[in-house]
Amino acid sequence: MQTRTGKLGEVRVRRLISRAIYMMSGAIGVLAFLYPFFMPTVSPAPLDMAHSQDAPLMTVTLVGLALIALLIELQGQSISAKTVALLGVLIAITSVLRFIETAMPMPGGFSPIFAPIILAGYVFGARFGFLMGAFTLLVSGLVTGGVGPWLPYQMFTAGWAGLTAGWLARGISWLTRSSNGVPSSNSLRLDILVLCLFGFVWGLLYGAIMNIWFWPFAVGPVEQTWSPGTSLGQTLSRYAAFYLITSLAWDMMRAIGNVVLIFLLGAPTLRVLNRFRRRFYFEVNPHAGRSTIT
Amino acid sequence: MQAARPSLDARAWSFWAVTVMIAASLARNPLYTALVLLVTIIVSATNVPVHNNRAILSPLRFALIVIPLSALFNCLTIHLGQHVLFRLPTWIPLLGGPVTAEGLVFGAINGLALTAIFASFAVFNHVTPVRDLVRLTPRAFHEVGVVISIALTFIPQTMRSLERIRQAQAVRGHRMRGLRDWLPIVIPLLVSGLERSMGLAEAMVARGYGAVYEKAQLLRTQALLALGTLALLGGWLLWLFVLLQRGIAMAVMLVGAGIVLGAVWQAGRVVTHTVYKPRQWTAPDTLVVLGCVLTLVILLLPLPLDRNTLYYSPFPSLSWPSFDVFVGLGFLGLLVPAMIGRGGQQPI
Amino acid sequence: MIHFDQLTYTYPSASRPALDCLTLDIAEGEFVLITGPSGAGKSTLLRCLNGLVPHFTGGSLSGSITVAEHDPVAEGPQALCQTVGFVFQDPEAQFVMDRVEDEIAFALENAAIPPAEMRLRVEEALHLLDLAPLRDRPLETLSGGEKQRVAIGAALAFRPRILALDEPTSQLDPESAEDVLQALRRLNQDLGLTTVLVEHRLERVLPHADRLVYLPSFDKSKQQVLSGPPRQVLHQIDMTPPLVTLSKALGWDPLPLSIKEGRRFAGAYIAQRQARPSSPAPQAASRRISSQPPILQVKGVCFAYDGATALDGVSLTVGAGNLVVLMGRNGSGKTTLLKCITGLLRPQRGEILLEGKTIAGRGTADICRNVGYLPQDPDALLFADTVAEELQVTLRNQGLEDSPPIVPSDLLAYLGLAGLASSYPRDLSVGQRQRVALGAVTITRPNLLLLDEPTRGMDYQAKQEIVRLLREWQAAGMAVLMVTHDVELAVQAADRVVLLSQGQVIADDTPSVLTASPLFAPQVAQLFPGTEWLTVDDVLKD
Repeated sequence: MQTRTGKLGEVRVRRLISRAIYMMSGAIGVLAFLYPFFMPTVSPAPLDMAHSQDAPLMTVTLVGLALIALLIELQGQSISAKTVALLGVLIAITSVLRFIETAMPMPGGFSPIFAPIILAGYVFGARFGFLMGAFTLLVSGLVTGGVGPWLPYQMFTAGWAGLTAGWLARGISWLTRSSNGVPSSNSLRLDILVLCLFGFVWGLLYGAIMNIWFWPFAVGPVEQTWSPGTSLGQTLSRYAAFYLITSLAWDMMRAIGNVVLIFLLGAPTLRVLNRFRRRFYFEVNPHAGRSTIT
Repeated sequence: MQAARPSLDARAWSFWAVTVMIAASLARNPLYTALVLLVTIIVSATNVPVHNNRAILSPLRFALIVIPLSALFNCLTIHLGQHVLFRLPTWIPLLGGPVTAEGLVFGAINGLALTAIFASFAVFNHVTPVRDLVRLTPRAFHEVGVVISIALTFIPQTMRSLERIRQAQAVRGHRMRGLRDWLPIVIPLLVSGLERSMGLAEAMVARGYGAVYEKAQLLRTQALLALGTLALLGGWLLWLFVLLQRGIAMAVMLVGAGIVLGAVWQAGRVVTHTVYKPRQWTAPDTLVVLGCVLTLVILLLPLPLDRNTLYYSPFPSLSWPSFDVFVGLGFLGLLVPAMIGRGGQQPI
Repeated sequence: MIHFDQLTYTYPSASRPALDCLTLDIAEGEFVLITGPSGAGKSTLLRCLNGLVPHFTGGSLSGSITVAEHDPVAEGPQALCQTVGFVFQDPEAQFVMDRVEDEIAFALENAAIPPAEMRLRVEEALHLLDLAPLRDRPLETLSGGEKQRVAIGAALAFRPRILALDEPTSQLDPESAEDVLQALRRLNQDLGLTTVLVEHRLERVLPHADRLVYLPSFDKSKQQVLSGPPRQVLHQIDMTPPLVTLSKALGWDPLPLSIKEGRRFAGAYIAQRQARPSSPAPQAASRRISSQPPILQVKGVCFAYDGATALDGVSLTVGAGNLVVLMGRNGSGKTTLLKCITGLLRPQRGEILLEGKTIAGRGTADICRNVGYLPQDPDALLFADTVAEELQVTLRNQGLEDSPPIVPSDLLAYLGLAGLASSYPRDLSVGQRQRVALGAVTITRPNLLLLDEPTRGMDYQAKQEIVRLLREWQAAGMAVLMVTHDVELAVQAADRVVLLSQGQVIADDTPSVLTASPLFAPQVAQLFPGTEWLTVDDVLKD
């Protein structure tokens, strides 16, 4: 027995809470990424080992919880059979690509799974993109026997790559005010260009995030690396130097690989996905009372 | 093939793997870490099928790579300690300064801990068939479990499809020269996958898949999630920046974790579905968990034991680590799976 | 029990309705066969039974449907799944799980059936379809027929009163198809399960059907659905199995639906023929034998996959203008042989000569300049945006863009695709897609054409189209080697038939060799054993 305004109000409240959940879990992720930079400015006496070992464990747990929260939120009301089936099949195809990556020697950190995740998020929306990113990493990890404490990080980060691809699509369409019709070749070219850039950025970002996660596990409590009281600027510059020396080359391969894949194969893939979405996916499901696309 | 030992539940195994991870991370005394690693290797040897001896080798290979690397990283970037080996010119960013033996040892210890963690997860991967893991998904994630099931079912199909397409294109003169030549392979693969997915969706709907959850329940779940993540975030910020209130910060974080998990449980209640063959929890499973709990108790609770031996540090000066027998015995709780478990299932 | 009343349905963004004012009644316990040309709306009709149309497909529907006192349009598939079990065409695209038991239990889990009840129902389903020995097997190791039986088992988990099947045997080989149809017949007879089956291969099911429904193709102005006992409807339709066609032509009454029924009439007919004065002994039509040098020579080819022998000393020859049909049970090595000829697989022993030159050492792309190979799944070839582009892709691959051996537009016209040059290939019908694929492999004007099961899942009309096309190409001098399970097609089109079994050639002769084996004999040969008649024309010509 809800009045019309009551219903509207409820929708608004839900959307607000939804945004809050995105922001919080995103913030947890960002914090997990950035906290080593802040440690020296507030670190205790350098030899207080008792609590310093907790940091990496705590980070993994917190990121894991944030991932769970985001997953529940994105599952939301219900996932239609079409979305479930489509997700499953696309994840299977992308996982097969990952086998190829592990089977053939690839330059550096090149991984063919990011391009499909980004493209799928771009076409099918933010929610789909996150689920696809997170579960591609999970499924290919399960199948290649690579389950480990790094998995929540991989899932979280790849998920955000897909999620932001969906937001990017909305942003682009708002900017160019395109309708739901057949995209002209010009707008497709723009899409590809933007996606190439996006793929480049995420290629580097993914590596940076994984690197930062691995750093405390590999090198131990961060307080030991600097003398206490170092300023934030100095810490950042020292980290930048370290990153440049070690993993930039690796991540650059991944970033360039993404660009190459999207540039060469992106346009036909987008055409196929868009055609599919228009034809089969954009159906109004009378049962749920709303479109099956988010 | 049928051993006298029962096979362990995947939940028991995951509890074990996580306990090893906690043990290896918290106990930085190299003697304890070596003990944990030894325990893990014994469990691996007794549970992973013999012909799969990659399982024992790859943690070894991992160790051979990671320990020296970590030692190198650390000794080059940490410039504390009293036993100086040599000096690098100070103008090199980050690396300049004295290179100490303490740094080397510190790095080696970290490498050892990482190896133990890796070994435990390698065992986990080998003894739990993937489908069992999927069956474990909590009720709140039921749909996610279905997605993963579908993906696992379609992976072999996709590989066969890939081969068929490759052959079909080869017959019309297609040669794989560059990256662009992947297009005639990828596009038909994608299109047939998309078509199949809609056929699958139809079959699922025809068998009654699809539920619409009550909206009221969902609002509650959402609110709990928001609250929980807020508590987690706030507690963590407190922990990092306000050092005097670490106790409160930890409490807030625990509350936040509890709320998030509560939301998961809440979301699970809405899902109506049953499980066909739920795996029974048996006595060996309980024993394994108890063993792990013993280890955790020793590690985390302030018992009247010499727990300071857990926290060894080579700084400021290298010294021999000390060892407490009772604490060491506590770690043997992780050995239970070696005594009663039976692996032997191939993944997938 | 099932009642359609003035049902009109249009797919979203379609220009004409798929079903137009359809009225139909089906009683409880009937075994109903729905047939008709492609695109007539049979699948759509079937999906109306459980509400997939319009809930899953969208579109607009008018008229009313009642299925066992339920209204699928109002209630939707989630409610109807307990009353109507549905089985789809593609055995590969129906399964969520990877083990037989788990798949059957999946539907029950979703309906939150208590575990004890679930176990009972799963056992029932396994027992009904003879799946108990397969219960723990991973689904991907099962044959097509076994998979479809699992799909039927999963559909039966809810104990529905109606079973709807959309061309369940079209992707299967004859043995598996027989398996599945036997299971369906048993279910109908023992359980009284109302069965609604869409099928092209009428031969096997006609004797068991209680009702035959014929949906005419869409170019008739209003859909005059024919529905009634099989004999009654068969008199009014054209595309029928050879037995029925022959019976109608010879005026046999009541129309025999099975070979057993036909034998009585056949015996009388033979006696009548022999009584006629000076009538020559019944003979088969003579077939063309080529006198030109052979285009393909296979000599003693042996191939083994990881120790399992697939081909064991196979030899055969195909001359220009000849059509040779390769037949054999599943796993006898037919597809392996085709792959060896195209160079996708290299035989361990023996040699293969194309136009007198060996293919050893040549790459597949090189060999295929003169060999066209249509794979079992023609969709694996299609990836371009337009039909014309598909043809161009092949030309580009072979470096023949500037001087195509056949002008592409001519080839399209020849294949009956003239107006479709700029259509998206995957949007076309199954028959049209196959012809696009044929175009893509024949644009290089090959001298040898290899076909792997070209008529799978096609209706009679499309099959006739293919035969006509092949005959024209033969006349132009192309050599054709076709692998098929379809015996009727083989006797119509083949100059020679080669039978493979376990990797060895057991027969290599004119099509009359087929009459010897009951497994491969066409209906006409089964009716008239001892003669050399193979097709309806053979009988009627004399």
